[in-house]
Amino acid sequence: MHELSICQALLSQVTAIACERGAEAIERIVLEVGPLSGVDAALLARAFEIARAASPAAGAALSIETPPVTISCESCGARSQTAPNRLLCDACGGYRTRIIAGNELNLRRVELRMAEASTMGRPAETAA
Amino acid sequence: MCGSCGCSVTSNASMSSESGANQVAAARGAGAGDSAVEVLQSLLAANDRVARHNREHFDAHGVLAINLMSSPGAGKTALLEATIAALRGRHRIAVIEGDLETDNDAARIRAQGVPAVQITTGAACHLDAQLVHQALHELPLAGLDLLFIENVGNLVCPASFDLGQHLNVTLLSVTEGDDKPAKYPVIFRASDLVVLSKTDLLGVMEDFDPARAAAALAALGQSTPLISTAARRAPDLDAWLEWLERELSAPRALSSRAPLIAAAAAGG
Repeated sequence: MHELSICQALLSQVTAIACERGAEAIERIVLEVGPLSGVDAALLARAFEIARAASPAAGAALSIETPPVTISCESCGARSQTAPNRLLCDACGGYRTRIIAGNELNLRRVELRMAEASTMGRPAETAA
Repeated sequence: MCGSCGCSVTSNASMSSESGANQVAAARGAGAGDSAVEVLQSLLAANDRVARHNREHFDAHGVLAINLMSSPGAGKTALLEATIAALRGRHRIAVIEGDLETDNDAARIRAQGVPAVQITTGAACHLDAQLVHQALHELPLAGLDLLFIENVGNLVCPASFDLGQHLNVTLLSVTEGDDKPAKYPVIFRASDLVVLSKTDLLGVMEDFDPARAAAALAALGQSTPLISTAARRAPDLDAWLEWLERELSAPRALSSRAPLIAAAAAGG
C-alpha cells in the first residue's frame, strides 16, 4: 500500500503550490497514473480520501487520468497499445520496444480557489 | 541539514523551493477567484531528488550500489551471505537491510564480518530514498566497493521508489510461480538482472519451468539477463559472481543512471 506514501508526496506538492500562490483552497487535482507506474489509481484515490483530511486539499476533487500502455518498436517503428505485461511489438513481435505512454506518475494540474483579489501571500501579479 | 555530510537534505525533504522550477503556468479560470495551475511534475520528485543525492554519495566514494528486491522468502539474505563469503578478501561489502520489524537480517550479515545497517520500516512496505540516506551515513562508505540494499520483501511497492542505486536486481525463487514476471511486470521490467534463486530445489519443484519464467520476462520488452543461483545445499554462484565482477569493473557514468521507472518524471 505505497499509495499512501505517494498521496503524502502529492499533498506536499499541491500544498506548496497553493501556498506559493496565496490560494484559499485547492478545488481540484488532476493526476496522470499509467498502468506501468506501479501505482494503482483506484487505491490512490482511496488513500487520498484519508490523507487529505486537515490539509488545504481537504475539499478537493481528485481526477486521475490513466493513459493506456503504448509502445513504439525500435525495429519496425510501429506503435501499439498493449497489456502491461506484454510489451512486444504488435506488428513484428519484436522485443526491442520503447514505452511512450503508460508509465506516468505525474501531478498534471491543480485548480485553486484564490483569495479575493490576491490579497495574501505574495504581491499581486504585475499586469502584463 | 544533514549532520554527517553537510548536505542539504533534511529529514523532511519537502517540495518548498523547487516547485517554481516546474514551469508552472497559471491561467485564470472562468470564475473570478479561480486559478488553474498546469504542473506536470512527477509525484515522486521529492524522493527522486534524495535518490540523486544518495547516488552522488555512492559515486563520490566509488561504491557500486545494488538494490536487491524479491517477494518475502525468495532468498535475498541467503544469497548475500553466500556472496559475502565468496568475495571475502576481494571486495569490501556492506549491506543496508530493510524489513518491517527485527534486525535479524542485519545480524546474519554482520555474522559474515561486514557492516550492516538495519532499517525497520514499521508498517511501510518499501524503502525510500530518505530511509536509505539516513542509513548510508552509518556506513563507512569511503572503505567500500559494493553496497547491497536489501529491500523489503515485496514485488509491488519497492518498484516505484528510486533509492539512488546503480542497478536493480530482482530474485525469483523456484518455489514461487514461474509466471511472476507476467504478474508483476513493473518490478521485473525495472530490473537490470533477474536471478533465479534456490535452483538446487528445481528437482522437487516440478511446477517451475525456468523456460516459462524466461519467456514471461522476455515478454516485458527488454533483454534482461536471467541467471540461476543456489546459495545453500549445492551452491551455484558462478553466473552471479561473474555478473557482479563485470559490473564492479564497468566504467560507470557518474550519477547518470535513470530512476527506477524510467521517464516517469515530467517530460521524460
